[in-house]
Amino acid sequence: MGLLFWCSFMKTNMAEPALEVLCWGGDWGLPSVQTDSLIVLSYGKFADAKIAVKSVDWTWRTITASVPQLHFEGTTRINADFELTAKQGADTMAYIALLEEKLRPALLHSFWVDPENYANLTRPWFTSHSPFPLNFFVPGRQASLALSRILLTKAESPLLNITEVEGKIYSEAKECLNLLSHRLGNFPFFFGNSPTSLDAFVFGHIAPLLKAPLPSAQLQKHLNQLENLCQFCNSILKNYFIDSMAERRNDCSPTAPHDSVDANLQKLTQLVNKESNLIEKMDDNLRSSPQHRPHSHKNSALA
Amino acid sequence: MSLAAEAFVSQIAAAEPWPENATLYQPLKEDQILLSDSASSLAVQTFLRMCGLPVEVSCRANAEYMSPSGKVPFIHVGNQVVSELGPIVQFTKAKGHALSDGLDDVQRAEMKAYMELVNNMLLTAELYIQWCDDSTSAEISRPRYSSPYSWPLNHVLAYQKQWEVRRKMNAIGWSGKSLEQVYEDVSQCCQALSQRLGTQPFFFNKQPTELDALVFGHLFTILTTQLTNDELAEKVKSYTNLLSFCHRIEQTYFKEPEREGQSSRHSKGALP
Repeated sequence: MGLLFWCSFMKTNMAEPALEVLCWGGDWGLPSVQTDSLIVLSYGKFADAKIAVKSVDWTWRTITASVPQLHFEGTTRINADFELTAKQGADTMAYIALLEEKLRPALLHSFWVDPENYANLTRPWFTSHSPFPLNFFVPGRQASLALSRILLTKAESPLLNITEVEGKIYSEAKECLNLLSHRLGNFPFFFGNSPTSLDAFVFGHIAPLLKAPLPSAQLQKHLNQLENLCQFCNSILKNYFIDSMAERRNDCSPTAPHDSVDANLQKLTQLVNKESNLIEKMDDNLRSSPQHRPHSHKNSALA
Repeated sequence: MSLAAEAFVSQIAAAEPWPENATLYQPLKEDQILLSDSASSLAVQTFLRMCGLPVEVSCRANAEYMSPSGKVPFIHVGNQVVSELGPIVQFTKAKGHALSDGLDDVQRAEMKAYMELVNNMLLTAELYIQWCDDSTSAEISRPRYSSPYSWPLNHVLAYQKQWEVRRKMNAIGWSGKSLEQVYEDVSQCCQALSQRLGTQPFFFNKQPTELDALVFGHLFTILTTQLTNDELAEKVKSYTNLLSFCHRIEQTYFKEPEREGQSSRHSKGALP
């Protein structure tokens, strides 16, 4: 919530980017992989602010600073919310509270607590993006912070075990996604045709979930079924971030409509890879199991 | 409760009608109960009155420990014990009494969002003021919380509770806030509620919902409870439509001749 009010009081000189944002770097088609950084970046884009983005990856700031950070100087105001009515402003606060309370714990769990995701995706990414020797501390510290936050806010006395809390937080998160989907309906943004701070918050929360290649991802599957939310994320990426993403990708053609096709293809490839991994694993189990005699000619056909 | 247990309870709940001897348990009203618990308890009582379901309020010193989730209030209905407003709303819905059936999906999404706003801002602010502000904690919260117990248990329990709440504040990032910022947050929350309410009698059309019960519970308790200073109550009082909202609900659902349900030494009694 502090981010929201910080954003609305930013001031900058419109001539040059006197606004500097320090945040985690990007991957998986996103400008940043961390929710709060994404929120700040997208809000800046919506408000047409000239922002210079500095990544904290590979710097000591990963441990000394709490990202994202804004550094600014100047005179002009930035505000993406001036067209909202008072009631819409109130609705914004309410939906942000809903996101923080219902969706954030499940996101934290998916990225930082779930063992498969943490070991295969989150920790390697953050380890590879932190300088030595911080790469030993930073991911572990974030993971324990996430776990303690979930346990302290969601686990009531009988549910002291994280596995019992899991069911509850995932069902709440799915309900929250459904509610957001109902609220968005067929509109391009949450309040009419231009994006506001609420859109930035929703985007910041949903985009990593949508784009990250999570190995075990029940929440991601649920999100993929909500067409309008996926469409919402992809259109924001396409309209506000595609130029910076194209530079990073070093691709020649700005194939914006092909992005979704590429994403689908990527997803399908991942699924197929996962399945073939499973088949290989089953294969290995069969081979190593003492009950079955090794049939080498059959195995070579499968592999 | 795990999901399977919840589904099971709903099934059992649907089988029987609401009995006459339903009881609501909360800490001792005169000496022990604190602002946040009192607010939650009042919210549940208001909700049940809005549904027209009779419930008897029983005050116990160990209500917190009797509760299945560790939070008060909780209700004992027939064979089941259910705590906190959310599960109680689901429980009464399983029994066939619901206030929010007339809402469409978008409105229901809004209602849930606003309830989360109240829980996130108002309840957390109340907990912060009670336990993280040193003067309130030392003068009011710790003495009241541990009043039923003798030395040294009272010290142990009070400090344990304080430590627990401060840990939670730390986890959600509120420990870095100053008291002024918390008051400011409360003000923002009340502003949002005031703008959403506008000039309507209730938050959604002309029918009360659980959101009205929750907002009334918190605001009424803030307005009628004496803390070390009046700043919290002043923040709420500056929104006149919220004040009249509280008056209206009090008149409609809590019109009792002696007003024994509302006043206590801790509270100032009537609304200003």
